[in-house]
Amino acid sequence: MTTEATTLRSDPLLQEPPPPQRPFQIRQALIYLLLILCGAIVIVPFLWMISTSLKTPDQLFTGRVDFIPNPAVPRNYIDVWERLSSVAPGMSFARIIGNTLFITILAMFGEIFSASLVAYGFSRFEWRGRNLLFGLMLATVMIPGIVTRVPSFLIWRELGLLNTYDPLTWPSLFAWGPLYVFLMRQFFLSIPRELEEAAIIDGANVAQIYWHIMLPLIRPVLLAIAVLSFQANWNNFQGPILYISTPQMFPLALAMRFFDQSLSRGEAPQWHYMMAMATMMTAPVLLLYFLAQKQFIEGLNIGAVKG
Amino acid sequence: MTTDPGALNTYLPTLIRYILVAIGVGVIMIIVYRVQIALGVKREAATGRALVTPWVIGFLVFNVFTIGTSLYLSFTEYNLFRPPEWIGLGNYQELFDVSFGTLESREQRSSDVLARRHSEIIRVEIGDGGFVFGARAASFWRSMRLTLVYAFVSVPLGLAGALGVALLLNQKVKGLGFWRVLYYMPAVLPAVATALLWRWMFSQSGIINTLTQPIWRLTTNEPPRWFTDANLALPAFVIIGLWGVFGANSVILLAGLKGIPQELYEAASIDGAGNWAKFRHVTIPMLSPALFYNLVTSTIAALQIFELAAFIQTPESVGTFVNWLIYQEAFTLRNMGMASAMAWILLLIILALTALIFRSSEFWVFYQGQREKA
Repeated sequence: MTTEATTLRSDPLLQEPPPPQRPFQIRQALIYLLLILCGAIVIVPFLWMISTSLKTPDQLFTGRVDFIPNPAVPRNYIDVWERLSSVAPGMSFARIIGNTLFITILAMFGEIFSASLVAYGFSRFEWRGRNLLFGLMLATVMIPGIVTRVPSFLIWRELGLLNTYDPLTWPSLFAWGPLYVFLMRQFFLSIPRELEEAAIIDGANVAQIYWHIMLPLIRPVLLAIAVLSFQANWNNFQGPILYISTPQMFPLALAMRFFDQSLSRGEAPQWHYMMAMATMMTAPVLLLYFLAQKQFIEGLNIGAVKG
Repeated sequence: MTTDPGALNTYLPTLIRYILVAIGVGVIMIIVYRVQIALGVKREAATGRALVTPWVIGFLVFNVFTIGTSLYLSFTEYNLFRPPEWIGLGNYQELFDVSFGTLESREQRSSDVLARRHSEIIRVEIGDGGFVFGARAASFWRSMRLTLVYAFVSVPLGLAGALGVALLLNQKVKGLGFWRVLYYMPAVLPAVATALLWRWMFSQSGIINTLTQPIWRLTTNEPPRWFTDANLALPAFVIIGLWGVFGANSVILLAGLKGIPQELYEAASIDGAGNWAKFRHVTIPMLSPALFYNLVTSTIAALQIFELAAFIQTPESVGTFVNWLIYQEAFTLRNMGMASAMAWILLLIILALTALIFRSSEFWVFYQGQREKA
């Protein structure tokens, strides 16, 4: 329907407007109406979060829906940290963001680096047992985290590394994200063999081929994975809640829970402060998403369409 | 509360160990390569195996060993302070200590089978009679019920919604990039923020009760208490779940729709197929691999919900998401053995459901000219 209508209209030989013009317009209007409606459902909670974060406590429970805070108090974003420091001295904005970034960046680099090596090994070399191991790797996606959680906790306890960032950072060097290996393997498989063979004839070794030929070629997928991995580690809650117990060492996700449990208990939950924290936690990932949305969406699509 | 060792003292040791481990991984890879060469393995195979070594180590330690340990612990009683005590099937016996009963009359509130230590999980009344299902580990089965019903409701609804939006976006709309970015946004939001934001919106004087005031005013004068009402908690969770995923899933399905060759539709038109026939016989089969992928990933994700339960408290009669319940059993109550048994039941349920979906895929998933398995 749509294709016919548009081709007819763009054809200069058929200047006369085609008869199904009116239903076509109604149809288009209906489509946009539905799209806008869905868009509103998506965006309203975001707007409400930001709006709440700028309100005074007495604007919270008015029984009306006001999206524009009056007066707007950006100071909530500073005050929330003063409240936190009053309970746990040293729990400052800089410290908590630092913790979150420390965990996120180390885990992200470990993940990308190890996943690209493993994917390289799974895609460009022939060896016996390859498909079996790759199948096993994909099967691990099904294991619920809760099954491995108790034993993992016991391992780190045995190593004396509870309440450190170790459990959240360096295990990433062992390619803990099967999805990322899978995505990169798909990409590696699409690279023509001749490139490698030419380099081998020129006397390059595996490390050189990987670094100078493969990595530049898979740059788009590396970027996609970097973005996905940053988001996943920044948002991580299940890992830190298990291993980190000192409030000053909390990443943002735990700091939010800490605020919720210690300062927002009782009759009047301090939603303006909690939404300010939620906005702070969301802003970097959202910004990254807007900047790299192409990579984000493509990264996911490789898995879905080629899977 | 433990004392703060200071920023530097928390970052630096981890950073040093991170670097040492990275070097160690490199050394191990070289050793794996050298050993194979010494054994006369071809260079290509030796390199390939050396490259996947990091994952193999991680797999052995963080998957094989932990799963084995978890299975062992599920047969023990263990509270961290004393060594695990073998109790055989004790934990499972307690979990499966369930009973069914029939209700003879309406008045029979707790039937005989549930009289002693079992509490009621499901009660169905048909006319004057009915039946009732109870268990000793009532909170576990209540939470399992909540989690499973949540998955069974939210996954198909989410998939249908995603498909609907993907079809809309595929209608040659202007500003496709804009819509895509917009719809995908909820999937970027941290789960922690999502949980808090929706708890606020669903709170008693929150935005949702304010907006729906004309509706609930018709029946009661009390604003609904979403998460404490046994009938409303599940719908509220489903709404949150749908908001979080339908946009992202529709973006994935859209890519699948774009990949359907236009000729197929033209051929169908020539054969006299209407819109519905085209949808049924071209779109759905061609999109089935993407639908399948979505179905598998969203089912697994729905059964692993954690953050929502961690931030939104529900009353005992509603239960909570089973992952959170298991977490509490292990780390709040310190019943590591019981928690492991619960986790294993969840694992088996997930495996069974996934196997079912894979089995069913033979009948409805269509791979174009490929013999490759998904």
